[in-house]
Amino acid sequence: MDDPFGLAAGWVQENLLIPVLYQFGLMGWEDIAFGWALFAVYGAVQVGLTFALCLPLEHWRPVERWPSQQAVWVDAIYTVISRVGVLPLVTFVLFYRTQVAVNGYLADQGWVPPTLEGFFPFLLGRQVLTFVLYAIILDFADYWRHRISHQFRWWWALHSLHHAQRQMTFWSDDRNHILDDTIAFLWFGVIALLIGVPPLQFPLLVLVLRFIESLSHANVRLSFGWLGERLLISPRFHRAHHGILAAGQTSCNYGAVFPWWDMLLGTADFSRDFPPTGDPSGEEALATGSYWEQQWAGLRRFGRALAAR
Amino acid sequence: MRRAFFLLLALLAVPAAANATGVAFIIDSGASAISIVDMATLHEIRRIPALREPHHLVLSPDGKSLLVGDTAGNEMLFLDPATGAVQKRITMADPYQLGFSPDAKFFTVAGLARNQIDVYDAATMKLIKRFPVKTTPSHIAYAPDSGTVFVSLQDSDRLVAIDLRKMEIKWNEPVGKTPAGVLWLNGKVLVADMGTDYVAQVDPADGRVLAHITTGQGAHNLFLSPDRKILWVNNRAGGTTASLDPTTLKVIRTYTIPGGPDDIDFAPDGKLWITRRWAAKVAVLDPATGSYQTIDVGRSPHGLWLNPRAPAPAK
Repeated sequence: MDDPFGLAAGWVQENLLIPVLYQFGLMGWEDIAFGWALFAVYGAVQVGLTFALCLPLEHWRPVERWPSQQAVWVDAIYTVISRVGVLPLVTFVLFYRTQVAVNGYLADQGWVPPTLEGFFPFLLGRQVLTFVLYAIILDFADYWRHRISHQFRWWWALHSLHHAQRQMTFWSDDRNHILDDTIAFLWFGVIALLIGVPPLQFPLLVLVLRFIESLSHANVRLSFGWLGERLLISPRFHRAHHGILAAGQTSCNYGAVFPWWDMLLGTADFSRDFPPTGDPSGEEALATGSYWEQQWAGLRRFGRALAAR
Repeated sequence: MRRAFFLLLALLAVPAAANATGVAFIIDSGASAISIVDMATLHEIRRIPALREPHHLVLSPDGKSLLVGDTAGNEMLFLDPATGAVQKRITMADPYQLGFSPDAKFFTVAGLARNQIDVYDAATMKLIKRFPVKTTPSHIAYAPDSGTVFVSLQDSDRLVAIDLRKMEIKWNEPVGKTPAGVLWLNGKVLVADMGTDYVAQVDPADGRVLAHITTGQGAHNLFLSPDRKILWVNNRAGGTTASLDPTTLKVIRTYTIPGGPDDIDFAPDGKLWITRRWAAKVAVLDPATGSYQTIDVGRSPHGLWLNPRAPAPAK
């Protein structure tokens, strides 16, 4: 059966990318281009699906209503850049090449980087189960990255851009300072190199996980119920993390997809019901500036945090 | 010749079954799997999972194993060429393109991501020598006497010749933009220059480019038919497959094969099986009519190998 995502990526590759690469003497990039096309198609579908599913939810039971949604549209720009544009390309090029080079070097030394399938050969060919296990490991790693980003003043200075949004919506998931994104990329890259994550093998499931992350930021009065909230992170649970009382170096609910790490490590707070969001300690540009004003304000705050050490 | 020689060995090694229909092995690089296709029905029967990203495959000289290189997985899989059963897996750094020398003494691996060409002892699979090269070694061809292996260096626009007797580089010369497929033909080396619309004819003695043969945009890979009567060239950017007279190097006919045509293997009925990288399909081209059937496989099909004498595959 035809995979519509693959076919769409193939069409983009053949009709848009290859003519340009050929024209400019860049055919050596054709494999990378196809990888990016796949990321971009999945990213575009992610954005489209998230928009189609979350927007009605936000209209149905919004936590807040705002007279102007100017600040929300900046978040939409972040989303498109992050999921369709430059970041997938950089991620693919850097991550893929680094992974192959590092793992090849290690293999030469007689040490095979561990993989889940290596430890548990029965996982070979069981892609859904394998992916779920990888997703759990990566989510745990991301829990710690996120929690630590709140601990260090310089890192919080960058991460506070994500928390500055007072009009939090499903678009806000990708609202990050570019340096914060870079650190997250390196963090993820090192972990993925250590455990051998193959992201392109599981694009549909990546799509589902990213949807959960977007939904958790949605401006919707939605809980998954007592049990559901303890299995998967809901908008109610994650909004508590973005609440104004939780902004800063002492926060709660750091998880991205699964709440289990917060529950196990004592940082879960299921008691808060849809607080207002934002970071009162941050300057206004972080909340309502343009994309570049936000980035610049984040950089200034980062510089001040470093100078104050 | 090498392909025909190995095919003959395979036919001898695999006992013919009364109900033989044959199977095709298609490597789905993007799906990290090897599709097994029933050659009679043109349907995928099953998939063998690889670890990360397999690309190319080659039959062992004794015909007992089909070797599949998993680049990102740093593994070489050994499959039963009749059934696809995994015989063993060994650790190997970045096995992208693979090839046994015609005398079956050497096994060369082009490590595209790691910029290295590894020459192994084919009998023991022990590394004899590594040649660090710039940049992205991609395709391999041997001289018929097994004395030299030629490897295209895709991102530096060069072809390197390695003397396998002295285990040293003979020459490393520019041959055109983004060289990919390499083939020894009639005492010369042909290199498909993917950044151009031509195949370069190269002097194997010193790497000088002797001629350019226009085949189509993005000339990527080239294959000689088993009867040595037709030279086939896949043109990646143009989405075409060209047939050429191997003696005159004149184009006979151009076929439209969209979706990034890449590797070719030849079926006994005269049809060509062609992987279409961006379409997740294999085209089975009838050269007489120019029409082709398609087989759905996994994402980014790359290397392929046909075993027409394999027993009828289990459903």
